[in-house]
This record gives sequence, C-alpha cells and structure tokens, in this order.
Amino acid sequence: MEWAWLIPVFSFAAAPLIVVLGRVLPGSGSFLAILAIAAGFAMFWWVFAGFLGAGAGTENCLVSSHTGTLTCHYQMAWFHAGLAGAAGSVALTWGIIVDPLTLAMLGLVTFVALMVQIYSLGYMRGDSRFGWYYAVHAMFAAAMLTLVLADNFLLLYVAWELVGICSYLLIGFWHERPAAKEAAKKAFIVTRIGDVGMLIGILLIWREVGTFSMFDAFEAVSSGAMSEGVTTVAALLLFLGAMGKSAQFPFHVWLPDAMEGPTPVSALIHAATMVVAGVFLVARVYPIFSAYDGDALLVVAIVGLITALMASTIALVSVDLKRILAYSTISHLGLMMLSLGAFGYTAAIFHLLAHGFAKALLFLGAGSVMHGTDELDIRKMGGLRKVMPMTAFLFSLGALSLGGIPILSGFWSKDEILLAVNEHLNPAFIILALLTAFLSAMYMARAMFVPFFGNLRQEMEHAHESPASMIGPMALLGVLAAVFGFVSFNWPGSYQGIGSFLFFHEAEGFHFNWWLGILSIILAVGAFILGYLVYIKDRVSLEGFRARLGSLIPVVENKYYFDEAYQWAVDRVVLVFANFIGLFDRIVINDLAVNGPANSVHRLGVAMRLHVTGHVYSYAMGMVLGTIALSIFWWFRSVS
Amino acid sequence: MVDLVYFQLLSAALFVIGMYGVLARRSAVLIVMSIELMLNAVNINLIAAASHLGYRSVGEAFTNFDGQIIAIFVITVAAAELGLALAIILRIYRNRGSVNVDEVDLMKW
Repeated sequence: MEWAWLIPVFSFAAAPLIVVLGRVLPGSGSFLAILAIAAGFAMFWWVFAGFLGAGAGTENCLVSSHTGTLTCHYQMAWFHAGLAGAAGSVALTWGIIVDPLTLAMLGLVTFVALMVQIYSLGYMRGDSRFGWYYAVHAMFAAAMLTLVLADNFLLLYVAWELVGICSYLLIGFWHERPAAKEAAKKAFIVTRIGDVGMLIGILLIWREVGTFSMFDAFEAVSSGAMSEGVTTVAALLLFLGAMGKSAQFPFHVWLPDAMEGPTPVSALIHAATMVVAGVFLVARVYPIFSAYDGDALLVVAIVGLITALMASTIALVSVDLKRILAYSTISHLGLMMLSLGAFGYTAAIFHLLAHGFAKALLFLGAGSVMHGTDELDIRKMGGLRKVMPMTAFLFSLGALSLGGIPILSGFWSKDEILLAVNEHLNPAFIILALLTAFLSAMYMARAMFVPFFGNLRQEMEHAHESPASMIGPMALLGVLAAVFGFVSFNWPGSYQGIGSFLFFHEAEGFHFNWWLGILSIILAVGAFILGYLVYIKDRVSLEGFRARLGSLIPVVENKYYFDEAYQWAVDRVVLVFANFIGLFDRIVINDLAVNGPANSVHRLGVAMRLHVTGHVYSYAMGMVLGTIALSIFWWFRSVS
Repeated sequence: MVDLVYFQLLSAALFVIGMYGVLARRSAVLIVMSIELMLNAVNINLIAAASHLGYRSVGEAFTNFDGQIIAIFVITVAAAELGLALAIILRIYRNRGSVNVDEVDLMKW
C-alpha cells in the first residue's frame, strides 16, 4: 500500500516519453499512455486489497479521529523553507493519504481514464496531433491521481493547477477553431478565479496552523486552535476553488463551452478528472467544513441547490446533445454539493461514482453519434436506433441510469442524496431537490428519445456504427452504470454497503425511505413516460405549457444571460478599471516615479556641464580660487 | 644675515608672477615656463626657511636638511614634469599646428 504513489507516477512518466518518442513509436506512442493508466488501474486493485487487509494496527495506519475511517498516511521529507528549526521555517513533505475516499477516487479515475483512452484510439484516429493528445491525456490523469492522493494542501494545489492546465490544453486541442481557443481560455480563466480564493484559503490555514498538512489543519480545527470565524472563512475560501473547478453557480459558464474539445476529453473532464475535483476537495477537507455545526455547509448546500436547479432547466431546452450532457453534469455536481451540504458525505461520493460511470458512458455515446453522423443538434437527429443499435442501447442505459430509473445505479445514489437532504435540511430543500430530480429525468428522456427513437431521418441514413475500440469501453462503462448501485446494499456476509466503507464519523448501513423512494420512482418513471409521449408520440403538446411560461422560455434558452452579464461586466467594469490602472501606471508609476528621477538627473547634468569649458586656464583658475578659499578657511580655523 | 621675510617676499612675488603667467598666457610653452617659475618660487621659500631653521642657535652645527631635501625633490620632479609637458605640447602642435590652449578644449562635454 505504501507504493500507492506509483499510480500517478506511471502516467507522469508516460507523458514526456510520448512527447519525445512519439514520432518513432508505432501509434504515436498512444499505447504508452494506455499501458501506464492500465498499470495504475491494476495498482489500484493491489492497493485496495492491501487496504482491506489493513487494520488499525498496521504500520502507518490508524482510525482517524477526524473522519472516523481507517486512514493510512505515508510521507517523506522534501525540504525546509527557511532554516530547519528556526522560527518561521516550514518543513515541506511529500505525502499520500490512502483512505476510502482516496480509494474510491483512484478507482473511478483510473477506470474511466483507461476506458476513455481506449475509446480515443478509435475516435481520434488520424488526427494530426494524435501523440500529443495522449501525452496530455496521461498528464491529465496523473495530475488528478496526485490530487486525490495528496496529504497536504501544497501538493494538492500543485496537482489542482496541473489539472487546470491539462484541461486547458485538451479543451483547446483543436486550437485552429476559434471557438475551441475561446472555450479553453474561458475554462482556464473562470476556474482560476475560484483558485485564487482557494489559494487564499490555503494560506489562511497555513497562517493559523503553520504547516500545509491536512491532518494538522483538522487537528487545529477539532482542538479549537482555529476559531469558528477563521474556520468558516477558510472553508468558504476553499469552497470558492471547488466552485470554480466543479462549475458551480456562478462559475458554471465554462463547462458548456468546454464541449469544444474532443468528445472523449469531455467524457474524462465530466466524469473523472476535472469537475469532480471540487466535490472531492470538499469531501477531503470535510472536517473543516463540518466543524462548528457546519456553518459553511449551509452555503455549500444552497450553492449546490441553485446550481442543480438552474442547470437542469437549461438542459431541458438545449438543442446540442453535448450541451445537454454538460448542463446535466453541472446539475448533478450541484446535487453532490447539496448532498455534502446536507451531511450526506457517503451519498455525495456514491453519486459521484455512479454519475461518473454513467456520464462517461453518455459522453462516449455522444462521441459515437458524432463519429457516425457528424451532427450534434438533436433536432436534426431521429431514429438512430436503427443504424447505431449498440450506441443507442448503451446511451439509453446511461440516460436511464442517470435519470433515476430503479435498480440502475443512478437511482440508488440519487435516493441516498434525497434521504440526506430530507433528514438534515429545511423542507424547501427537499421539494426543490425532488423538482431537480424530475427535471433531470426529463432532460435525460429528451436526450435519449429525440436522437435515438422515432422514425429514422432521411439525412441520418448514411450514419454508421462505431468501431469495436469505441463500443467496447462503452459496454464496460454500461455494465457499471447499470449495476454499480448494488454496492450500496447489505450483502449477505460481512459487507454492510458502501456506507460501512466510505463514511464520515458514523458508518451507515443501507437504508431506504419508502415514501421518498416511491416518490422519486414516480417522478423518474413519470418523466420518462412524459418524455416518450411528448417527444415520440406527440400525444402531449408542450405548446400550452410554453405559452403559459411566456417570456420565461427565452430567458432559459439564453442560459439566464449569464454569459451576457459576464461579458458586460468584463467590458464595462473590468476593462474600464484596467484602463484606469493602465493610465495610472503610465502616468504616475512610469512617468513620474520611474522616469521622473532619471529625467531630473539628466536635467541636472545638462545644467552642470556648462562649467566644464575645456579651457585649461579656467581649470587653473578654479584651482587657484579653491586654494585661496581653503587657505582663508584654515587661516580662520587656526586663528579661532 | 638677511632677514627671512625678504626671501619670502621675493618668493611670493615670483609665485604670483608665475600664477599670472599660467592664468593669462595663451601659449602652452609659456604656461609651462610659468609653472617652472612657481615651482622655483617655492624652492626659494623652502631653502630660505631651511637655512634659517638650521642655524636657530649660533655655534651649533647645521642639522636640519629637510628644506634642502624637499627642494631637490621639487627640482627633480619639475625636470621630469617639464619633459613630459614639452612632449605633450609637441604632440599637440603636431596634431593641431598650434600650441594655443584656447584651441585645445576637447576636455568638455
């Protein structure tokens, strides 16, 4: 288990190798990335087995008093900033944590990254930068794996930013297209805004605790060394970073635009490597969030709920298949945040995993559709079931799972979230959460029925099924999207459900609230039936409904004008302010403060050089006068 | 013995004449000659003072040679300096065809 740090190292090593040797290796070196992540995946199982066999007595392992779960901690000294032992010196360490949360993330990231990389063999075939794609891909996975293993905020932050830069490179992979370039910049800048808050939060904790170690921070919080105010502020600042990465309101605008990247990249970003980093961060530092009755968690819950509700309404009116999925991701990330805010630690991570598998499947399905039809506008699709049967089946499976149809994994995880919300938060939250659940089933029904069912459109007849390298990974993901939910049950034997493995302080068994469960089944199934009637049978017309909503529809269709508002803010506030600062810099700093002294010295020199005539006798005169002056001076001095 | 003050007056007069020459003359050669005059005025002053100090009390041996020694140094340095100065003046003449110091004003901005 102490070798868990090797998991990211494989991929970290693969990335530069592909860049350097890509030209001479077969397949541009793509197999290196796949082998590296496959090694990471195998390693994950080894670590997992080691962890299951470990107990509180195992070396370096103990039952953490901060999370209540078995936590193994391995670290090595890195260097001292400042003199060792001197006041203000910081001992920096590399270190990894292996605990249930890390293991869950390791499994998700390695598996999804492996599937996506195999899929990309088919999808990216023939691209001129095939090797570069795999190099960045490997780096992306490695950064995310480092992030989930990190035991201190510094390493976490480094990995966090690496994830950011890799997503920038991949979203802008086809940088010849202006839209991709803009989307990459947008993703990077918007997430950076949140990251600044996160950095301040980390520094605030460092100021209070004196180290970057997470365990020291948890200790300071639980012992009361960090006061309530500081803890809450630190938690909220860290949450800013999580909001940026996890595309929470109001930072959600970058995620839909990130669709400009290659579709497998979207799958990776949405399911495993990028956006779940925010949810993971909140879960990782949960002792800080939940301290002092969890004041910060209420903010998390509210932001999550707003995000979930807003994004699911936009998803309902989008016409681009990938954008529907993007808003769906935002909405589900909102649900995870809501769950974390409702003390539903297990539910949030469980949903993260279930959503990860289903969403990776859906994106790979969308990529397959795009591969076969070169089209993403669902209004132009229809009946693809007949030409792409496997894709249609697997996509539907993912959609049903995410929509919350019983026995598929999304149903169980969503149910856990609803339970947590019902237990810990105001009734208003559960009503809105149920509304979100209904809406998410509704847009999933739309994304599934409109392109794949109904009559085959004439312009879609040329469509073809994708190669096995693309269908294979989708099938594996499909199996997990279907049955992964079963890990939440009490199985015969000692297994007590995921809640007994991955929990915060209190292990929870599987529980099921009948009225809530039945309500969510009715909502989900009802949404899919309604979707079937509306989009396929045309039995129910939405025109009356649309007419009643009236002017609200364009507002939603324009994504609540967030982009416009931000553009206005950038143009009218940021740029005006920047111009002012620019003028200030040019006039006050540059002309007055920097060039001012230089100019005055120059002018002084111009004035002074007039006495240098170059005539020997004027210098001699100066000597004589100086001597006389000195003589008079000494004369008076000796007299007095 | 002639009183010391007359030597000093002679020395001062020669020094001031030399100084006037340095300041007022335009020819580099004359300036150098004026400098020699000033140096010799100083020498007179030194020798006179030294000979007076050497015989402070009548009958004693002449013991204090400081003034004479410095005067010999001055003469030596003056000779060297004169050689150097004349060499410079010669080079200026070769370059400019004149030894008028008004025309030699390169040492300015």
